Amino acid sequence: MDILFLDAPYTGTIELCSETISYLKKKKYKTVGLYASVQFIGKLEIIGTQLKNIGINAVTSHPDRSHVKGQLLGCDNYYNSLNLDENIDAYVYVGDGRFHPLALVYGQKDSKSMKEIICNDPINKRMVLMGIDDILIIIKKYRGSLLKFFTAKTVGILITIKPGQEQFKPALMLEKKYPNKKFYFFIDNVISFDQLENFNFIDVWVNTACPRVSFDDQEKFVKGVINLNDALSVEEILSKESVFNQC
Amino acid sequence: MSLYDTELQKALSKIKESKAKTVCIQLPDGMKPYAKDIEEKITEETGTRVLIWLGSNFGACDIPLGLNKMGVDLLISWGHNVFHKKIDGW
Repeated sequence: MDILFLDAPYTGTIELCSETISYLKKKKYKTVGLYASVQFIGKLEIIGTQLKNIGINAVTSHPDRSHVKGQLLGCDNYYNSLNLDENIDAYVYVGDGRFHPLALVYGQKDSKSMKEIICNDPINKRMVLMGIDDILIIIKKYRGSLLKFFTAKTVGILITIKPGQEQFKPALMLEKKYPNKKFYFFIDNVISFDQLENFNFIDVWVNTACPRVSFDDQEKFVKGVINLNDALSVEEILSKESVFNQC
Repeated sequence: MSLYDTELQKALSKIKESKAKTVCIQLPDGMKPYAKDIEEKITEETGTRVLIWLGSNFGACDIPLGLNKMGVDLLISWGHNVFHKKIDGW
């Protein structure tokens, strides 16, 4: 079966609104990391020029899973996903909604400090700021789940079988790393949240599907859930100086 | 005018080029209301049978499975572009 992806680009004008420009000028930022979701990516150069005109250098990168430079996916929520080498003062995100720019907030949870995310919404012509307050409650609970994993005896690993998501082999690394825990491997098309409680012998869940599930759908996991890569480095995460551990 | 360009000409060209007889269209939640117009346009222009994917479309990682068993020759997925999966996990 052949597959055709269509970006469905935004049909309106894509530019920084006056509120965003005023805010950036006031903050006196020198360099910003510039990203957009795929519907808005085609006009990123225009945004770059607008930034240049107010004395701000815009840098961007080609994140791991994206198809084009500057494109931000919701799953780019780990610090190394972006592949951004330059030091920046803040992020500027172009697009609507919260899902994509929240990836930039989550992506900084293991850093020493958090840079603010300035979201410029071309549809509603407004600016929204994002930072640690947007995820504070979620990452406090997430920290609890990490601690729970640390002491758990039985762990359920959730694997979804869609080709873009399936992470069975990487999940097997958990058995080697934690020989004293018993891991059960669960597979599904998409995570069936309403089935989780039927497996009452599980102490905590490890998610290997979309890495946003463990944050955005956290309340659906009564026993708690953490992401695979965090499970593989739980001691390091809990012991480092980070935004995450200051919350 | 719609907020997002459905790029229907690209879809129609691909259907004609691939000679697909059955096409599945997959839309993110915000674009699901566009399914009516897309279905009608594809049917009218190509005579192809169109199946509308009811379920999720979280991203290009979220491709429906088993469509080939339904005789689907082509999947057209809106709102995302090619996903580059990391083979060594996240």
